[in-house]
Amino acid sequence: MKTRIVAYAAGLALIALGLRGIVMDVPVTAWAAWFAGAVLVHDGVLVPVVLAAGLLTGPLPGRYRRIVRAALLVGACVTAVALPLVLGHGRRADEPSRLPLPYERNLAVVLGCIAAAAACAAVARAVIARAVIVHRGRRGGGAARAAPPAGKGPGR
Amino acid sequence: MVRRPALRKPASLKPGAWKPALARLPAAVTTLPGRFTSRLHDERVASLLGIALGAGVLVSFGTGLVSHFMQQPAGWTRWPSRPVNLYRVTQGVHVIGGLATVPLLLAKLWTVYPRLWQWPPVGSLAHGARRLLVFALVGAALFQSVTGVLNIGYWYAFGFFFTTAHYWTAYILLGALVIHVAGQWPRARRAVMTRPQDAVGRRGFLLTVAAASGAVALTTAGEAATPLARLAVLAPRRPGNGPQGVPVNRSAAATGVTSLARDPGWRLTVTGRVTRPLTLTLADLRALPQHTARLPISCVEGWSVEATWRGVRLRDVLHLAGVAGDARVRVESLERHGRHRASQVDPPHWHDPLTLLALGLNGAPLALDHGYPCRLIAPNRPGVMQTKWVHRVVVW
Repeated sequence: MKTRIVAYAAGLALIALGLRGIVMDVPVTAWAAWFAGAVLVHDGVLVPVVLAAGLLTGPLPGRYRRIVRAALLVGACVTAVALPLVLGHGRRADEPSRLPLPYERNLAVVLGCIAAAAACAAVARAVIARAVIVHRGRRGGGAARAAPPAGKGPGR
Repeated sequence: MVRRPALRKPASLKPGAWKPALARLPAAVTTLPGRFTSRLHDERVASLLGIALGAGVLVSFGTGLVSHFMQQPAGWTRWPSRPVNLYRVTQGVHVIGGLATVPLLLAKLWTVYPRLWQWPPVGSLAHGARRLLVFALVGAALFQSVTGVLNIGYWYAFGFFFTTAHYWTAYILLGALVIHVAGQWPRARRAVMTRPQDAVGRRGFLLTVAAASGAVALTTAGEAATPLARLAVLAPRRPGNGPQGVPVNRSAAATGVTSLARDPGWRLTVTGRVTRPLTLTLADLRALPQHTARLPISCVEGWSVEATWRGVRLRDVLHLAGVAGDARVRVESLERHGRHRASQVDPPHWHDPLTLLALGLNGAPLALDHGYPCRLIAPNRPGVMQTKWVHRVVVW
């Protein structure tokens, strides 16, 4: 309990220090707009879009659904971080070494690689599943279907 | 973080039930958290992601402080000039590590998202205060990520100076994090240390988040780690791309020094607390003993590249002018305005034999955009402090 009180006091002091610096050195309105705006856009736009993607991929068969969602997650993160480069607002004619690459093409290549990796994983899964069925079929009796993969909760 | 209540349908949503729309709305809202059916919205996932994210925030905070106090030294800070690549590593870790933390942050926030819609939103004064602190934590974390990502893309869309806002917000983030960890520690500990008995596919999810962080790092790290340069397809800089194989942050044209730097009447003056004030032409500088140093340009934006610099040791010039051993030095650029028109060189740096007033780069005279006719280059120092187009050295 004592540790927790010390931690709370230290945390509040750090927050107060940060706020003091903001008030003294930074235009507060613009800062607050970006601070609260980031939360609003994240909670009100980004997460609902992710939830919608979860709903849309829900009907896929279990073993492919997780691969598709994983590929979407990785691709979306890479895109989010690369977006300012792709939009290229920071380019300057007199400084060509700034943002020197064709980022639209590069992002497309990276997303293509992620999609290809996902496709390979899906094919591998299908082949393994079929092998399991054939194997069980040979042994006679056995389940006609491969056991469903563990942890199949819909990712909403 | 989130209990998983069974899916319940509120009575008011039963078919046939009729209520005014306004009265129905709260019922739909109050049961919202229960409608998140993924079992990944749970304490164990939130705790594991939280530990990784907390470590990431601490590393970013520490490396960020290094960068801040190198540029604005407080009275108690005295930076050594070695190891040569220290700043290159800390700032590379700050920027590339910060980028790789973004997927962790987004995954963590998704995991605890149902808590955003808990009902009632505020139950008591203490509960309200806790939620306010969570808002500070989430807001500061998102703010640091968004401004950082935009800044390295040179997209200054915000109406404030990035460095100051990013610096002060870091304290808010750290403070809110300390409080969050203190409050959540027992639960997180329990959630992590207890072996789960269910069959929820947490490992797959966590590995996917790790893969996202890895993909972000892999496509950007080459801007700081030259052997990986060809993989840095989504980095704002590419080692080797720029005049003489070195990227340029501020060009001569952008700073308006072109004609002054090309003027044959250019002189380097050494003034201030010296016994023999000096005025040196470019030929005078070339006549002094020339030395070669392999040093990186390590930008505050995280990119860095090593190059071969050739020129006069700063300490040779200072000894020629006659200075005290503990003298502090200010190196001034031809730039008339701008935050980085001058930089401070403290004794550890100007005594270092690797610290040069460089006249050449990678086997040729300095390109105009790299600071022709003369620039400072020193070990373990941010790129913005490697002053270009130097024309004055003031000793004090």
